[in-house]
Amino acid sequence: MTALSWSAPRRARFFTAWAIALVLGAAAFQIADLAYRDLPRPQPLEELSYYPSGRHLRPATLGHAGTVADLAWLRAVQYYGEHRSTDMRFVRMADVFEILTTLAPDFVAAYVFGGFALAQEGRNVAAGERLMLKGIEANPTSGVLAFELGFFYFVRPGGRDLERAGEFFELASRQPGGPPEAARFAAFAHQGAGNLGVAYELWGQVAKGSPNRYLREMAERQMALIRTALEQGRKELAIRRLGVPGVLIK
Amino acid sequence: MHGSEEGVAGRPAAGHAPADRPAGGETPDVAVRCTGLTKLYRDPWTLKVTRGLEDLDLEVRRGEVMGYLGPNGAGKTTTLKLLTGLHKPTRGGAWIFGESIETTSSRRRIGFLPEQPYFYDYLTGMEYLELAGRLSGLQGRESRDRARAWMGRVGLGAAESRGLRKYSKGMLQRLGLAAALIHGPDLLLLDEPMSGLDPLGRRDVRDLLLEQRERGVTVLFSSHILPDVEMLCDRVAIVLQGRLSRVARVGELVEDGPQRVEIRCEGQPVVALPVTLSRIERPAETAFVLEQGERLDEVLRWLIEAGVRVRAVTPQRSSLEDLYVQAAQSGIERPLREGRQA
Amino acid sequence: MTTWLIAHNTFRETTRDRLLAGAIAAGVALLAVTQLLSPLAMGEGRRLTIDLGLSGISWLGLLVVLLVGTSLVAKELERRTIFNLLSRPISRPGYLVGKWAGLSATLWLVVLSMGLALCVLLALRGDGAFVPGVIQNVLLAGLELMVMTSIAVMCSALSTPVLSALYTLGFFIVGQWSYDLRGFAEGAPALLRGLLEVTADLAPNLPLFNARTLAAGGHLTTLAHLGLATAYAAVYSGCVLGLAAAAFESRDFK
Repeated sequence: MTALSWSAPRRARFFTAWAIALVLGAAAFQIADLAYRDLPRPQPLEELSYYPSGRHLRPATLGHAGTVADLAWLRAVQYYGEHRSTDMRFVRMADVFEILTTLAPDFVAAYVFGGFALAQEGRNVAAGERLMLKGIEANPTSGVLAFELGFFYFVRPGGRDLERAGEFFELASRQPGGPPEAARFAAFAHQGAGNLGVAYELWGQVAKGSPNRYLREMAERQMALIRTALEQGRKELAIRRLGVPGVLIK
Repeated sequence: MHGSEEGVAGRPAAGHAPADRPAGGETPDVAVRCTGLTKLYRDPWTLKVTRGLEDLDLEVRRGEVMGYLGPNGAGKTTTLKLLTGLHKPTRGGAWIFGESIETTSSRRRIGFLPEQPYFYDYLTGMEYLELAGRLSGLQGRESRDRARAWMGRVGLGAAESRGLRKYSKGMLQRLGLAAALIHGPDLLLLDEPMSGLDPLGRRDVRDLLLEQRERGVTVLFSSHILPDVEMLCDRVAIVLQGRLSRVARVGELVEDGPQRVEIRCEGQPVVALPVTLSRIERPAETAFVLEQGERLDEVLRWLIEAGVRVRAVTPQRSSLEDLYVQAAQSGIERPLREGRQA
Repeated sequence: MTTWLIAHNTFRETTRDRLLAGAIAAGVALLAVTQLLSPLAMGEGRRLTIDLGLSGISWLGLLVVLLVGTSLVAKELERRTIFNLLSRPISRPGYLVGKWAGLSATLWLVVLSMGLALCVLLALRGDGAFVPGVIQNVLLAGLELMVMTSIAVMCSALSTPVLSALYTLGFFIVGQWSYDLRGFAEGAPALLRGLLEVTADLAPNLPLFNARTLAAGGHLTTLAHLGLATAYAAVYSGCVLGLAAAAFESRDFK
C-alpha cells in the first residue's frame, strides 16, 4: 500500500510530517552554512594542543597510542599545509609534534618532518633541534634519523654545526639502515669542521667500499688533498668554506 | 501405601513418618522425597527474611500423578525450582530417585516445564528441541529423530523450521512440554502446564499426561485449573504461605468433605427452623442449604409441618474447589521459624 | 559434552546476531578508510594502515564483548531461558565455561576475518613484509579478547547487562593502565603503593597483548612474548571463570 491509498487524515499526517522535516532540514543546512562562513572555525590541532604533554595523553589512548599518533600526524600535516599556504604561522606545531612523538616514539618521519618544518618554516631552530634529538634518543639505532639529524646540523639556518653534523653522519654510516651516502657526508662534514684525521679515515672507507667509480675517485682526491694539507701543515687547504644557510620559502 | 495418607499441615500419619526412612538412597516406591525442605530469602538491604518454603516433608510415589496446589506466592514454583536445582535450599533436603538435588546427576531423569517458558528466539523450533535433547544426554541423530517426532506429537510439525520469535504463547507452551519430554524422563515437574492454552490445547496436554502416566512416569504439577487436577491426579498437595497444608487422595478429599444437602421448596415460604440454613431465593422456588446432612430428617419434618411444599432433596458433593478455597481461607498463620540456614 | 553443546549454541547465537555482521562490516570499512587517508599521510600510509587496522580489530572486538558478552548470561537470567538449561544435568561452571568458549570462538572469527583482510590489503599495497608482525598482533588481540570475555561473562553472571558492560569497560581501562599503576606505585607512600600494586595485579595485564608499535615498524615480537601472553590469557581467564563459577553456584534464578 502506498501513501496515496491511505485514508485522508493519515495521508495528511504523513505529508505534514515530511514537510516539517524538509523545512527544518533546510533551515539546519542554512544555519550550518552560515556558521561555516561567518563564525571563527576551530583550528585543527587545537584540541590536541590543550594536552600539557604526550605523557599525560598516553594513558587516555588505552593502548592505542600509535593509532592516536597517526591520526595526530594526519592533522599535523594538514595544519602545516594550511599555514604554509596562508600566514606561515605555526604556533602549535612544536607542542603537537612533541605530543605525537611521545605517543609514538618510533615515528621517525614525525621527528624528521617536524624538526625541519619547525626549523625552516616555523623559524624555531631550537625547537626543531630539540625534537630531532628527542628522536635519536628514542631511536638510537635508526640510521635514517641519525642521517637526517646530521643533515639538520649541516643546513641549520643561521649557522651550520659541521662538527655535530659529522658525528651524526658517522653514526648513520654505522647503522644497518643508514643511507649509503652517510659515510661520504660524514667525511665531508668532518673535513669542513677541520677534523681532517677523521675525515681522511672516512674518505678511505668510501674509496674502498663505494660501488660508484666516480665516488671512489672523489674520495681519493679528497684523501690526497688532506694528505697535502697535513704535510704542509696548512689545514685550511683541505677545508672548504661554506656559506651560512638561511631559509628561502617560495 | 493405601488408606488415609496424611492429615492436616502435612504431619505424617502414623507409620508413614519420613524420618523412619533413610534420608537418601533410592527406594523402589518413591520418586521424590523432601525432608524439611526450606527456602528463605533475606533482603540484602533490610535483612528482612521472607519465607519461600518452610519445612516441606513430602513424598511423591513412582508412577503417581500429584497435583500441587496453592494460591499465588504459596511456594509451588519455589518447590519445583528447588527440585530442579534452580534454587539452593536454605536447609533440609530432597532426593530424586534417591539422588540428592544438590547433585547435577539428579536432574538426569527429570523433565521440567517452567511457568511461561522462554526460549532462544534465534533458534527454530526444531533446533531448540534438538538442543534440549542433546543437553539431556541424547546423541545427535537420536535427538534429531526424537525432536521431529515430538514436534509432530505436540502439533508443531508444520512450524519446526519457523523461528521461535514467531511462535505464539500456546505454541511455546507446547514446545516447552516437548522439551521436557524428549529425553523420556521418569519424573515430570510441570509448573502450570495448561497455562496459555486454549481448551483444545489443554485437552491435548491432559491426554499427554495421561499417556505418560500409562508409561509409569511420575508427574508433579502445579495448576490453578482444578477440574484438570481433579481429573488427572491421584493425590493432591496444598501449600499455603510456604507451608504444606494438606496431602490426600483426590477421592478422599472429596469424600471427607462435609455432606451438604439442598432442599428445594415451592414459593418463598416464611418459616422458623430449628437450625440455621442458607436460603437461596429463586424464581418460583426457594432452596435451603443444610451444611450438615445429619439433621436432614429434623429439618424436613419442620418444613412439612409448616406447610412448605418440598420439591426435591439433593445431596451436594464438595468439589475440590470448595476444599481448596476452604483450606486457603483457613490459612495457616505461622511465624517464620528462624533457624540455621544452609 | 554439555559444555561443548553450550559453547556451540552460544557460537550460533552470537554469529546470528546482527551486531557481529555490523562489526565485521565496520572493520572492512575502516580498512577502506585507511586507504582513503593514506595519500594525506605523506608517505606514512603503511603505518596508518597497520596502526588503524590493528586498533580497529581491537576496538571492534571489545565492542562485541561489551555489547554481546556482557549480556550473555544476564539476558538468559532476565528472559529466564536459563531455566531450560540448568534444570537439565548441566553444571553451573560448565554452563559458564561453555558461554565463554562460545563467545571466544566468535571473537576469534571476527579477529581472524579482519586480520586476514588487513594482511590482504598490505599484500596488495606491496607491504607484504609487514604481514608477519600483523599476524602476531592479530593473535595477541584474540588472546586479549578472550581475557576480556571471561571478565564479561563473570560480570554478566552477577549483574544486569548495563552494569556488566560498565564493569567490563572499567576492567579494560584499568587493565590498560596496569603498567602505569605499577609505575606510580614505585614513587608512592607505602599504603598507596600497596593499593596500587594490588590493583595492578588484579586488573588484567592488557599491555602484555600490545605489540602494535612493533608491527607498524615491521618488527616482530619474540616467541617467548607470545608464549607468555598465551599462558597469561589461559591462567587469568581460568581464574576469572573460577570466581564466576563460585559466585554463580549460590545464585537463585527467579
